[in-house]
Amino acid sequence: MDSSPLEPALAYIAHALSTLERGFYKLPGSAIIERYVRSSHQNDPGRTFLELVLFAFVIRTLLQSRTRADKDAKHFINFSEKEIDELVDEWTPEPLAPPLHEQEASDLAALPIVAGPNGPRPKLVSTGKSAYNLASLNFTGLSGNEHIKQRAIETLRKYGVGSCGPAGFYGTVDVHMDLEKDIADFLGTEASILYSQGFSTISSVIPAFCKRGDIIVADRGVTLAIQKGIEISRSTVRWFDHNDLQSLEDVLLSVEKERKKKRGPLTRRFIVTEGIFERDGAMVDLPKLIELKQKYKYRLILDETFSFGTVGRTGRGLTELYNVPASKIDMLVGSVAIGLCAGGGFCAGSHTVVDHQRINGPAFVFSASMPPLLAVSGSEGINVLRSTPSILDALHENVRAARSILDRLENITIPSHPASPIIHIQLRNSASALSVPVAKPGSHKPSNPTSAMPRDPPQFDILTEEKILQDIVEEALAQGVMITKAKRVRGMEITEARPSIRLAMTSALSKKETEKAVGVVKAAIVKVLARRR
Amino acid sequence: MATATSYLSAVSEADARARTARSSTPTPTATPALSFASSTSSEHTSDLEEFDDNDDKLMGPLSVPFRPPTSEQVFSTVHTEFGHCASEEYRHTSAHTPGTPIHGHIDKDPPYYILLSTYISYLILIVLGHIRDFLGKRFHPKAYRHLMPHDGYAPLNSDFDSFYTRRLKTRMDECFAQPVTGVAGRTIVLLDRVSLDYNRTQVATGTKTRALNISSYNYLGFAQARGGCADVVEESIKRYGISTCGARLEGGTSELHTVGEKLVAQFVGTEDSLLSSMGFATNSTFIPAIVGKGCLVISDELNHSSIRFGVRFSGAHVRMFKHNDMKSLESLLREVISQGQPRTHRPWRKILLIVEGLYSMEGTMVNLPGIMKLKEKYKFYLFVDEAHSIGAVGPNGRGVADYYNIDPKSIDLLMGTFTKSFGAAGGYVAGKKAIIDRIRVKGYSGPYAEAMSIPVLTQVIASMASIMGVAVPTTSMNNSSLALRNNGSNGHLSVDDEYHHPGPVPVKTLPGWMSLPSELASGEEGRTRLRRLAFNSFYLHRGLDKLGFITYGHPSSPIVPLILFNPGKMMMFHRMMKDREVPIITVVVAYPATPLVTTRVRFCVSAAHTKEDIDCILKACDEIGDVMDIKHGLPKSERWHIDEICARAVELVNLPVDV
Repeated sequence: MDSSPLEPALAYIAHALSTLERGFYKLPGSAIIERYVRSSHQNDPGRTFLELVLFAFVIRTLLQSRTRADKDAKHFINFSEKEIDELVDEWTPEPLAPPLHEQEASDLAALPIVAGPNGPRPKLVSTGKSAYNLASLNFTGLSGNEHIKQRAIETLRKYGVGSCGPAGFYGTVDVHMDLEKDIADFLGTEASILYSQGFSTISSVIPAFCKRGDIIVADRGVTLAIQKGIEISRSTVRWFDHNDLQSLEDVLLSVEKERKKKRGPLTRRFIVTEGIFERDGAMVDLPKLIELKQKYKYRLILDETFSFGTVGRTGRGLTELYNVPASKIDMLVGSVAIGLCAGGGFCAGSHTVVDHQRINGPAFVFSASMPPLLAVSGSEGINVLRSTPSILDALHENVRAARSILDRLENITIPSHPASPIIHIQLRNSASALSVPVAKPGSHKPSNPTSAMPRDPPQFDILTEEKILQDIVEEALAQGVMITKAKRVRGMEITEARPSIRLAMTSALSKKETEKAVGVVKAAIVKVLARRR
Repeated sequence: MATATSYLSAVSEADARARTARSSTPTPTATPALSFASSTSSEHTSDLEEFDDNDDKLMGPLSVPFRPPTSEQVFSTVHTEFGHCASEEYRHTSAHTPGTPIHGHIDKDPPYYILLSTYISYLILIVLGHIRDFLGKRFHPKAYRHLMPHDGYAPLNSDFDSFYTRRLKTRMDECFAQPVTGVAGRTIVLLDRVSLDYNRTQVATGTKTRALNISSYNYLGFAQARGGCADVVEESIKRYGISTCGARLEGGTSELHTVGEKLVAQFVGTEDSLLSSMGFATNSTFIPAIVGKGCLVISDELNHSSIRFGVRFSGAHVRMFKHNDMKSLESLLREVISQGQPRTHRPWRKILLIVEGLYSMEGTMVNLPGIMKLKEKYKFYLFVDEAHSIGAVGPNGRGVADYYNIDPKSIDLLMGTFTKSFGAAGGYVAGKKAIIDRIRVKGYSGPYAEAMSIPVLTQVIASMASIMGVAVPTTSMNNSSLALRNNGSNGHLSVDDEYHHPGPVPVKTLPGWMSLPSELASGEEGRTRLRRLAFNSFYLHRGLDKLGFITYGHPSSPIVPLILFNPGKMMMFHRMMKDREVPIITVVVAYPATPLVTTRVRFCVSAAHTKEDIDCILKACDEIGDVMDIKHGLPKSERWHIDEICARAVELVNLPVDV
């Protein structure tokens, strides 16, 4: 071998390396590291490089401050203390609440206030006289029931008024469990759970089940409570046209196609809709809906707020009307306040569904349970409905009577189902002072399921129509019939509902009285619309 | 843990008792305890008779006052609902002494071995849970079917999401959702239950136990089935029925709502107020009416879930600051105002600061003076959630503004609930009329949610009026049944009809038919309740501190959290308290409601408790605390003996506030 001047240096390096290697192998656990390096290297320097980059990244992440304030963000501007003080001085906030505009103020001032008990013919504070009541929700006339009042007083004398705690912590009173059982038995589900307010029920049920990444297919015409529940759930939403099950099927198909394309994992999928829609009184075709849900393997969250206690032979709701077992609906939501004239709401379903909400339903967990006497009133309400089907017959008779008067009227549209106990009255476009182009019929392109707006949204002028409707309401009140516009929080809903007058039928009025009261409403409509022309 | 055998024996005992009850008609003769209780209320019989009187567990020591009443003492309440306590020295006033410093939340640290063992406990629980899941899925797949995709449906609840519930919470399910019956007053009747299948299901044994109730939100003790308020509520049901049938804006408004709103506005000292039928919904449906896109909400990190709900509904941007920390708040304010909206740097339309008066898990009281000072400079709007503080703090019970003597009109929105201090349900927001009217129209509750029902509303009106006292115009002194004497305690004779904050309510505010008994109408009993609550809160707080426990919060706060740390101690503490001679029921909370390490017991003191009740709780805590090693607040040498604490209670309560 030729001698080279580099030789001693190389020999030194070789020696140093072998010493290092020996030293390294003496360290405990070195064999594991060696094996790891070997297996990760696999004769590919690229892989080793990748490992090194990863290692450097880990170190960097560990060294970085845990709570990265906004200060590191791209858009952060550094100001001196003096500049901040100046900016603070210069900033003027908007007023906390803009004052009511004229229409809002006059609507609020015209709000009827009931003196004494509310019922079919309450006395009003403003006039001091009694009026027929087609505004309040007293469908089966349970409101003035003496037996229920008596039972409520007995409950008061045993339980006091408030329950003084959330259900988790000594707020589960035996009467709550009784009502939960009564509702489940009445509907024919395994179990049910009580919430202390009707409105907060569905907006809590939806986020209890639907999480980020899940899919909700919802009707475009759902009420605000459902919209808010969907919004807060952070799930992916697809909308189908209002009460159009063909559109629903199209959307379900497109979702399925999308999933197949993405090859994503199986997620929870829900159809959310209402039994009788709060916005217009339309009724969903339940058997068809259930068929679709089963075909495409969706779970159904059905809001029966306005159909529980109002339709079906004994008021069991849509399931009774269509003769469908309630157990086919995964989450059946209803209102004890509206259907049974007490307070609160419920969600009925299987044991799994109900127990899940006891830990995950925000409005259930974080709220005090409902006052015991309201729970007992609810239970008694169910007893009354069970034992006296004639109440429901009377209600349905009144609904038919009302519809036969109103349906003949020109210039108005009634989008509500003929059996719906709430009847929405909308103005026809021609009656509106402002003429707006009507959407072309016959364009059959489907709406975009990712948007809540339908393809050809109906055109209407909210302010003008509200004004006309309010005139009708006040005219009817002057003639001794209390009715109300369907009140909305304008500007806060995903789509604006068309202004309407919402009549609520009740079995507490006889057929004659109903005809008389609806006749007055009809006369008021005719009179006000004639005046406008 | 109750085993199957002990359960069966309990069942057979209960059966035997039930048989004897059926065969022999209950004796109408009153037992000594019964006569005690009934001696206290003239026309009503005791509530004890509503339960089977052969169930001696229900009679026990809790039903009888510690000291039998003397002939001149007349109690208008039932002892089991609202304890009899005539001793004037067991009273205190909850008020801020000007000039004393206000501290934020102070974390008190336990020894390191406690922290370490807490983490290890959780580690063991989690590891065991995963092992059980791993083995369970292989050997017992049927039990996991509802957590797995089946039949084309994704599981409602994945095994990962439900891990905490299944593997940690289930272990101590006996602490939660205990069914009860009767009034949640000073005592409460538990419907006993056992689990035979490791907490998968709970079975009622059919027996009942009366326990001392230090868990319900009943600060002023208005959870009563007897007494002036309940009488008025009964009258209201007869007059008005139960439901008002619908939403406030759609034919569900009763004249009583107008009365209630006026009264609440007077009570808290604002122009107007708006009621809501559910406390949770008060926040979640009213906040979106005042803030929206382009607005910023600054929220305390420990704010209640309902506030988070409301803010998320509103679409406003939200930032959080460190719990009750004014420095953190100020630096956040300086940052957000100078930076403006994210990315665009547009100025915020408005900034709303949302804080709570009393925090429900910590018992800390908001540093309102500090916030008011910042409010002047930084021009944000202030929303104070007084869910727990209204009725509970302040010399007149009017909440934190009253406590710190700050003008309530200078706070933009005051929100509160009626569940806690008024024995009712629902909530309110109060503020300037223009703002409240906006919320009336734009809050979701107005058009959509059911209005507050009549009995609940009446309970609110009656209890609130009896805290305030009713001022009668001098002219109608002779014929009114409402008040027997003028209310002069607040320094002005109410000869006019006008309301002066924080004085008595003018009689014309209340409905004409409402007649409160004299002790309520005069405000005498209301004041006593406020002072008893303050005494009890201070006493329990300081008693526990002196025993050596770590507690959180302000001594004025009726919420007294006692920190346990180890999760395993939680259920043991709960069970040992419940299994005592005098059963005491407690609320135990852990992660995720609290930070991981600070597992705690939360006591909720009430005006209904007597000094002896608090003694009883302190004694129980003392004994259990020694057994379970939870006294980490004070070194042994500085602790007081339990007897000394009971004896020097008044002295202890009167120590100056230094928290």
